[in-house]
Formats: sequence, structure tokens, C-alpha cells
Amino acid sequence: MKTSADQSEHLRERVAEAFAKATPLHIRGSGSKDFLGETVHADTLDVTGHTGVVNYEPGELVMTARAGTPLAEIETVLDEAHQMLAFEPPHFGENATLGGTIASGLSGPARPFTGAARDFVLGCRIVNGQGQILRFGGEVMKNVAGYDLSRLMAGSYGTLGVLLDVSLKVLPVPRTQVTQVFEHTAAQALEQISDWQLKPWPITGAYWEDGKTYLRLAGATSSVESACEKLGGDALDDDRAFWHAVREHQRPFFTTTDRPLWRVSLPPAAPMLDIDGDCVIDWGGAQRWLQSDMDAVALRRIVKEAGGHASVYRGDALPRFHPIGESIMALQKRLKKSMDPAGILNPGRIYPEL
Amino acid sequence: MADTASADAAEQVLASRPDKAQLIEKLVAKLPEHVILHAEEDLRPFECDGLSAYRVLPMIVVLPETIEQVQIAMQVCYANDVAVVARGAGTGLSGGALPMENGVLLSLAKFKQILDIDTANRRATVQPGVRNLAISEAVSHLGLYYAPDPSSQIACSIGGNVAENSGGVHCLKYGLTTHNIVELEIVTVEGERMTIGSEALDTPGYDLLALMTGSEGLLGVIVQVVVKLLPKPERAQVVLAAFDDVRKAGEAVAAIIQAGIIPAGLEMLDNPAIVATEEFVHADYPTEAAAILLCEVDGTHAEVDEHIADVREVVEREGATEVRVSRDDAERAIFWAGRKAAFPAMGRISPDYYCMDGTIPRKALADVLIGIGELSEKYGQRVANVFHAGDGNLHPLILYDANIEGELERTEEFGGAICELCLEHGGTITGEHGVGVEKIDQMCVQFPPDELTQFHAVKQAFDSKGLLNPGKAVPTLHRCAEFGAMHVHNGELPFPELERL
Amino acid sequence: MQTSIIPQLRNTPDGEEADRILRACTHCGFCTATCPTYQLLGDERDSPRGRIYLIKQVLEGETPTQKTQTHLDRCLTCRACETTCPSGVEYAKLADIGRDLVEQQVERPMHERVIRWLLRHIVAYRNRFAFFFALGHIFKPLLVGPLAPLKQKMPPRRKALAWPSAENAQRTMIVLDGCVQPVAAPNTNAHAARIFSELGVRLIAPKASGCCGALSQHLAHREEADDFARRNIDAWWPYIEDGAEAIVLTASGCGASVVEYGHMLRNDPAYAEKAARVSELARDLSDVLADEDLSQLGDLGHGRQVAYHPPCTLQNAPQLHDNVAEILTQAGYQLTHVRDPHLCCGSAGTYSILQPTMANQLRENKLASLQAGDPDVIVTANIGCQLHLESAAGVPVRHWIELLEPAAAA
Repeated sequence: MKTSADQSEHLRERVAEAFAKATPLHIRGSGSKDFLGETVHADTLDVTGHTGVVNYEPGELVMTARAGTPLAEIETVLDEAHQMLAFEPPHFGENATLGGTIASGLSGPARPFTGAARDFVLGCRIVNGQGQILRFGGEVMKNVAGYDLSRLMAGSYGTLGVLLDVSLKVLPVPRTQVTQVFEHTAAQALEQISDWQLKPWPITGAYWEDGKTYLRLAGATSSVESACEKLGGDALDDDRAFWHAVREHQRPFFTTTDRPLWRVSLPPAAPMLDIDGDCVIDWGGAQRWLQSDMDAVALRRIVKEAGGHASVYRGDALPRFHPIGESIMALQKRLKKSMDPAGILNPGRIYPEL
Repeated sequence: MADTASADAAEQVLASRPDKAQLIEKLVAKLPEHVILHAEEDLRPFECDGLSAYRVLPMIVVLPETIEQVQIAMQVCYANDVAVVARGAGTGLSGGALPMENGVLLSLAKFKQILDIDTANRRATVQPGVRNLAISEAVSHLGLYYAPDPSSQIACSIGGNVAENSGGVHCLKYGLTTHNIVELEIVTVEGERMTIGSEALDTPGYDLLALMTGSEGLLGVIVQVVVKLLPKPERAQVVLAAFDDVRKAGEAVAAIIQAGIIPAGLEMLDNPAIVATEEFVHADYPTEAAAILLCEVDGTHAEVDEHIADVREVVEREGATEVRVSRDDAERAIFWAGRKAAFPAMGRISPDYYCMDGTIPRKALADVLIGIGELSEKYGQRVANVFHAGDGNLHPLILYDANIEGELERTEEFGGAICELCLEHGGTITGEHGVGVEKIDQMCVQFPPDELTQFHAVKQAFDSKGLLNPGKAVPTLHRCAEFGAMHVHNGELPFPELERL
Repeated sequence: MQTSIIPQLRNTPDGEEADRILRACTHCGFCTATCPTYQLLGDERDSPRGRIYLIKQVLEGETPTQKTQTHLDRCLTCRACETTCPSGVEYAKLADIGRDLVEQQVERPMHERVIRWLLRHIVAYRNRFAFFFALGHIFKPLLVGPLAPLKQKMPPRRKALAWPSAENAQRTMIVLDGCVQPVAAPNTNAHAARIFSELGVRLIAPKASGCCGALSQHLAHREEADDFARRNIDAWWPYIEDGAEAIVLTASGCGASVVEYGHMLRNDPAYAEKAARVSELARDLSDVLADEDLSQLGDLGHGRQVAYHPPCTLQNAPQLHDNVAEILTQAGYQLTHVRDPHLCCGSAGTYSILQPTMANQLRENKLASLQAGDPDVIVTANIGCQLHLESAAGVPVRHWIELLEPAAAA
């Protein structure tokens, strides 16, 4: 059911009040991403009531919607016009909201090929930590007036501002999509995927699991067909269900064990790391999911040496996100303070310092 | 309402009177003498960038050759509270690298090395003074290229591209600079070296890469950039469609996109632009047309065939009076020749031209064009429109003669009016050229005081003394108040709460 | 660009021309992309745009110092910048005016004056140059200090080829003999004459002609250059009246100068018309040959690998047309891929002598790209480039016309 309610003023008042009293707020949508980052111990500011698509014109390739709008609803509206969110955001729950999607900055299997959540943010309206409603960016494709604070919101977990509404660039749904499967070891897969990407083929997904590489091609029918011909491999039946399961962590790899799960972000061509555990490869090598009981510090050291970072998806390790250097942290603290001087917005969600 | 500390700092820096001789002495003590220029004869060539209507003689120019020298220059300036303006190739069109008479101009033009080409990860590590096009040239033999292609790509440098978040003809499909870089090395205002972003696709903590890109040199000095490389498309082809009505051309733009095609480039020229360029390059444009569209499609051979047929069908349905499809690369080059020569063509029919850069929703194209036509009559100045229709990014070119007294001022006013017209239609004052000094007053119209205050607060997180490129990109509320006093918009003052001088 | 040229200059022909050129410049910076010195040095003052600004200062009444002179000296006048200028700024013309103005106001140190005087008074005169050239070969070990760059410029002495009589030829063309080429590479014109003779064209090199004037022009003595032009026009005029079809230029450096005679003497009532006619007739050797039927020469190359260095003057002087690559390919040679063909080799007239550091750096880069394709021979179309490259190349460097003679090609 589609709902539409503008609670901007209510949300602004709540933040202004909290600012005046210097009491922190736990900003929350449906809670589908509660397992990411650290727990915020504070009064909850529920944004799920702030809903509705504010503006959508398919010819403009732009949609603006309120942060509490369910992601599923947005996808339905787009689908009716044969358009989509090309960063393929994971929901991780039935009621995932647009706000949570952008605040966590998560992107699905298409990310290395079409772009990340932040790449599709054109503008937003937020409440900053002083309870002021501010608008950055806009609904146009190109905009370089002022600092790019709207893209900064992506992945900031609500610690810099409460998202009110977000304008996103949307794209047409490709006319054809197929997935070809190849038998590879992990090392072969990494090398092969890297080579494939030197060709102008319409690749939109490259995943490896248990001896098989899954390569998704999507675009103009003719283009997909001609690439398939050159690639070979076996076509995968019902590939939409497959990629949905990859995106939502519903593959058996994710669901059949309780071992700690790490998200390892790496330069795509980085070789397989010498870490004990099971691994699947997404994002053509740039995102690897790792089940390992290895000590967090040791694991992170190996990942860092390979040019990447590791965050906790399941397990007890702290901090949840990869620690960052001292001077960068100092800068980020100052940045946080510039938008949330009283430190009331989701304090500690990313790092205790922010 | 109080201005922020950062804005105060910026005003202080703008008004400061540093001791030039003393500063030279301090710089010379730590840097080789030949990298420091201070005689007027040497400084004069640096007094403006690509926007030569604005000129200021810098107090000192520093031409460092190493990152360590950049750090030293920054440390000396920081210790002495002296402002620093960073400059790349000096091709910017908004005066973003305009020097300060009481500041140091830091040229990064000697940083010209491509340090690494990483084929496996499809990246190149380059110094900031490397030309945009030089990157594509260096990786061409690998079948790769760097996608953002501002029209100055032959000369503009990658450091400047990052500072301005430059776009180009192909950004609807391939994105802006911000979408095509993964890592930056910067030197902070204090002279510290810092890495922003990472070689992975994301970085823990806040997305400082997004924030740095397009920050116009106000947050840090870029000393190294890691860019993404893409495989070169197999083929590109162009459709040229003529229309007898600007509105129809505008509707055809939306129709192409609604048909599910993302063109690699989608450009539009109005009649004055067609006539002027045709005289100069003889691209065989239909000079009687009210507007022409150039729609380029790229990809695999099969994909291009499919999309070209679709585009042809759409523009014919939308009432194109003539449709041509390039048969080979030579003809494609001819189709583009007119568009690419459009700016210089203006330079030949008028001594000077002033290039605007507003972006609007595509649906407003026709209304804004008609509005610009009305303003042209009101100001009595000719204007030709050339733009990235796919992105809604307009480049109206106002023709004038700088040697005629008062004409530049009238042109600036006209330009300001065009900016405001874009804002009225839900657009922005700058799509890709940046605010610089040129559109600083229009920022007061686009952003209310709370947003500007927030910008200043963010600036302060990076540069507490306000030393980096002060007076650009984000106006102080004080300046907006002065501008507002002269400039009553829609019958109301934009900053009623501020006292006016 | 806005200008305010001082009154005493504004109404002179130079002042008017400079103003016109400056006004066309929009300061966009596209010229910096192809400027060899800016690409090496990254200093705005060593870019065309920066030099335009330095010259503008002088025109607007500022007194230049040696610094301005140095940056103008460092310009190769290769004119690569003009090819990327979207606004059609005639940089080289402005540079000539600027150099002259600065020369009048800035006194050069003694050693610079000496070497410049020598270049103008010896090199530009065929007989004097031949004398010193011969002397130089004897006293080569004594070329030290500021004269050292001359030592490596000294090409081996070559045996002279016979000039064909071509008595039966129906058609005639004039060839410029020039100053350095007949001494340092005497066979270039002889080769050309022999090939033309086979094509039924008699090539005449009038004795009274001499240096094209480029030397003086580049050394900021434009009046002297004008005199050289007048002398050549006088030497050629009788043949032109007799129906010579073209003035063939076998050194593109001279070619770029001769095609400008019309412009140089436009204000001289006695010569303006003749000079314009000469400029019309002046064509590069490859341009003239491309109009002839060369199939009778047959396959001379047999697939031999050739790296071609197109001189800046041939690439960038709009009136000169380069057909060298097509001709050599037609004659059976395989041209290797050469990166950055638009960058100057550093020869640039007297540049390699006056600016040896820059010139050698440019030559090093140029030879690296020329030799990347592992050629059997490097060819070019200008005596200056030929001598400059030859002095450091590991493979033979020749004028391309030599490859069209069966004997020489072997």
C-alpha cells in the first residue's frame, strides 16, 4: 500500500529539541540494517512515517522520495516505467526504507559496473544536528554549486544529518539479461573477470562461489547476444532469482552457518588472501565475503596489506568497521562536528568517535 | 543571525596585508629560489585562468616540483596566515584559480607524470598536472580510456578536473569526475599529506572523496589522483536531427531517454549557434533549422546498430525535419566538428564571449531557451546556445566586446539573469564549470543562509583559518547581504534578517 | 582578450597587428597542450599563452628584463600551438613582434651577442658558411665553451652528386638553394633535381638567391630578413616571368619563411605584389611531387622500415602541405609508428645552438619515439632537423628525397 506523509516539520522539531537538550537520538527506519555498525543507545527517532514519492518523471531519469518510503515501493513504481535503481541496493529485510538504504550506502552486485549508491545521489534534504532543514544538490544530472554534501550522506549512517528526502538518478531497465556460468578456481575467476573487463561488453555482475563463476550481461539484446557468443559458458536458468539471493545474502553460503561473516573490500584484482575460512567473490573481485574465525586484528592486517578493509557482518568483533588512521579520524570528527555540533545524531554508530 | 567562524576567518584573510618581503624570505629559506616568483614581470602571466575577464596579480607564485615542496609551501603559508590559491592548467571558466593580491598562487603544472598504469584493476595513478587527454592517450594501446571529457580536455589537468568535478559531452552515460576516480592524495592546509579514498571501491568512514571532488580548492591541495579506466567502445555513431521548433527538439530529447536509450552524448545547438559554427567549420549543418540535436550512441557493433535505429525512429516521430546518420568515423567527426568548434566560432564573430553553465531539468529546455531569447532582447546582446541536452546542462554564450566600456558589466548582469532563470526552473547555476568568483553572487540566490552557513562550517573542519582559496565557491553571508541590497529578487530581499551597508 | 596598447605603438603596423592578434586570444590555454617547452617545463611563462602575456605587458608599456627575453628565447617557434588554438591566434607573428620589441629594450650579454652576430653574419651566407664549415672540420677540437654545441652539429662532409642537365625538359621550376643546406647536405637539391629531371621538369637554382631570411627573423632582425626576401625575389623574378611553375622548397624551415614573403613585404610598395606572387608559387617538395605521376619510380623501398619525422614547419605552417608519408608508402617503404609527431625535435633553426639544454632534451625524447619502431633509417624534410637528429641518432638520418633515388635508396 502506498502512503504519503510529510513529517519534515515533526522530525525537525525532534532534532531541534534534542539539540537544545543535548540528548542523543537513534535514527531508525525499519531496522533492517541494525546489524551493521554499532548499537546506538538513545531515544529512537522513527522516520518510517515520513513517506511518499515526491517527484518522479521517467523522462528526467530522476526520482525524489521521502526517506521513510519503503524501498520495495520505490522499486515497484520504477518498474512500472521500466526503470530501476541501477546500484541494486540490498534490502536485508522486507521493510527496508530509502533513507536506510542511502544512509548505509550499500550497493548490490551491479556496483562495480554501474556505480554505487552514492553515485546515484543527485540531491537531498536533511535535518542537521542543529535542527535546521537544509537542501543540497538538486534534481538535475550535473550540479557543482556548493560542496557535494548530498553524496557525503551516502554511507554516513545518519551521523551527519537525518535524511528527509533523496533525489536519485534512475536508469532504464536493460532490455535483455542473461547469466553465463563457468567452471573456475577462485584464482582463475579473478584473472578471467579482470580480462573480461577489458572488453566493452555489457557486464553487470561477476560473482564466484564454490568453483563456479557467474557472469551477468545486461543491455541491448544484440549486444548481450554477441558478447555471449564470444564468451561461451553455460546459460543459468532463472538468473534473476540467483542474483536476488546473492544480493540479499540468501545463498546457502550465507545462511547455513553461524561463523563470523566479514565483508572484505579490496582492489578488484587483488589475489586471494591467505586467511583461513570460506570465501565467495562478488563485485568482480572488489567485494569478498569471508567466513572465518580468525582474530580480527590479524585478519584486518592481512586485508589492509592487500589495499583493502574489512567490516563485520556477523560476529562479535569490534570495531565493526575497519579502523582508520589518526589524522583521517581527526578530520572526520571535525566534519561530524560541523554538521552535528552537539553530537546527537546516531553517536557511535560508525565508530565510537563519530 | 551570526555568521560562522570560518566565514569570519575568510573575510579576515581576504582583507589581510601580509608582508611580502618577509614571506619571500621565509619561502626562500626552505625552497629553491627558482620555484618562487615575485617580480611583477614574472607574475603577470599568472593573473588569470581561462576566464580572462577577471584578473588579479598574485603576490607570489610558487612552482613546486615535488610533493615535499608543496608541503613546505603550505606550512610556511599556514604559519604566516597567508592565503593559497592552487592552480592546475589554468583553463577553468569560472575564475576558480583567480589569484589573490595578498596570497600565494600554487601552481601544480610541473606535476606531469603518469606514475602507474594498472591494467588488472583498470586504473592509472597520475600527478595532478597531467592533462585529461594525456591519460587516454597513454592507455589507448591497452584498449582503455578515461571517460570524463570536458571540452578543454586537450589542455585541462586532472587535478583541476577533480577540484571542479568536471563533466563533458559523455557524462550522462559515463558520469562526472566524481564517478571516475578512486583515490586522492592531498596536502592539507597545515601541510600534512593525506590519502582520501582507497584502491578498493569504498573506504571506511565518511566518503571524503565525494566531498573533495568539486570543492574548488577550498578543502585541500590535490597532489595525486588514481583514476578509473574503461574499455573503449567498439564503435560510436551519431544521428544529426534538425527541428523547425526548439520545443520539438526539447521533447525529442526526453523521448529518446524515455525510449530506454542512454546516449553517450546528446547535444543541442540553437539557430544562432548553428549559423555561427556553420560559417566557420562548414559541417553542413542545416542553417534554417531552429535547433539541431546530435545524438551519439556507442558500445558494441550490434548495440550501436540497434540503438541508432531506435534513435532515428524516435526523432522522426517527434517531428524532425531532417535526419542524418554518420556512415563512418570521418563523417562522425564532421558532425561533431561544428559542436566542438562552437565556442571558438563565437570568438571569431565577436571579440569576447561569456559562457554560462546552468543546468535545468530536461523538460524545461524549451521554456528556458525562450526565456534566454527574451533576456537577450532586453539586454540588447546577442546570445547563442550550445548545450549538453542529455544532462540539461546549458552553455549560453553571450557575445560582447571587452574593449567597450561597460559592456562586460552588462554581460555579467545578463549572465546573472540567466542563472536565476535556471533556478526558477528547478535547476542550478553551474553544472560543470564551478562557482569560482564568477557565480559567487548567484550562490546567494541558489542557497539560503542556513545552507551557506553549513558550507562554511564544513570548510572550517578542513581549513580553520580559511586560507585555501578564500572568496571563491561559497559566498559569505555578508557578501550575500550586499548583493541582496542591490538585487531584490521576486520583490523580496533574500536575507531580510541581515543588516545592510 | 582586453588590450590597452600604449599610444606610441598602437598606430604602428606592428602595434595594429599585435592588437588584432591579442584580441583574438581568449586565454583558454589550449595552446599549452601542444607546446613542447611547456610540456617539459610546466611553467606558464614557457607556454604560448604565457609568452603572449609577456609580450602583451611590453606592448602595454611595461619595461621587460632579461627574464622576458629568456622565455621568448626558449620558444621554438614551432607553431604547434597554432594548430590547437580554437580562436585562430597567429602566435608566431606576435612572437616576432614581441621579440623585436624586447630586443630593442634589453641588452644581451656579450657572449650571446657574439654568437648571434656570428649566426646572422656567417651561417646565413652560403660562401662564408662553407669557409667556416671547412675550417670547423679542421679546428673541431677547438670548439669549446659557448661554441661547443657547434661541434656536434658538424655533419660529416659528403661527396657532391652531379646536377642533371635536363636539357630536354619542357617545364621549369625554381628551387631555393638557401644557406646551410648546400654546404652541409649539398646533395638534397641534387637528388630532387635528378628526380624532377626524370619527370620532365628542369629544376633551376638561381645563383643570386640565398638565405630565406628565417635566421634573421628568429634572431629578432626582421628588417634584415626582409632584405633577404627581396634578394631572393630579385633572383627568382626573371624565371617566374619566364613561366616557372613553382618555387620548390626542399627545406621546410625555409619554406615556412618563403610562404610568408607576401606578409613580410606587404607594406613595401615596390615588392608587395611580387612577394605575394612568390608566396603563392612557393610549395614544399612533397606537395609538388604529389601532383606528379610517381608510379614510374617503381618499388624502391621493398618494405624497408622508415621512421618519418615531419618538421614543425611542414606540419604547422598552414600554407605548406606534407605528402611525404604518402609518397614514401607509394614507393614501397614501411613507415613505423612514431608517437607524439607534433612535438618539436629541438632543432628549430638556430635554437639548438642558442638553447642547447632544451634542444638536447627535446632531441632525446624525439629520438626515443622515432627509434621505438626500430627503423632502418630516419627521414625528415628539413635540413635543421636532419643535422640536429643526425648528431645523436643511432641510425642514419636523411632527407626523404634521397629514398626516391634507386642508387641512394639501396
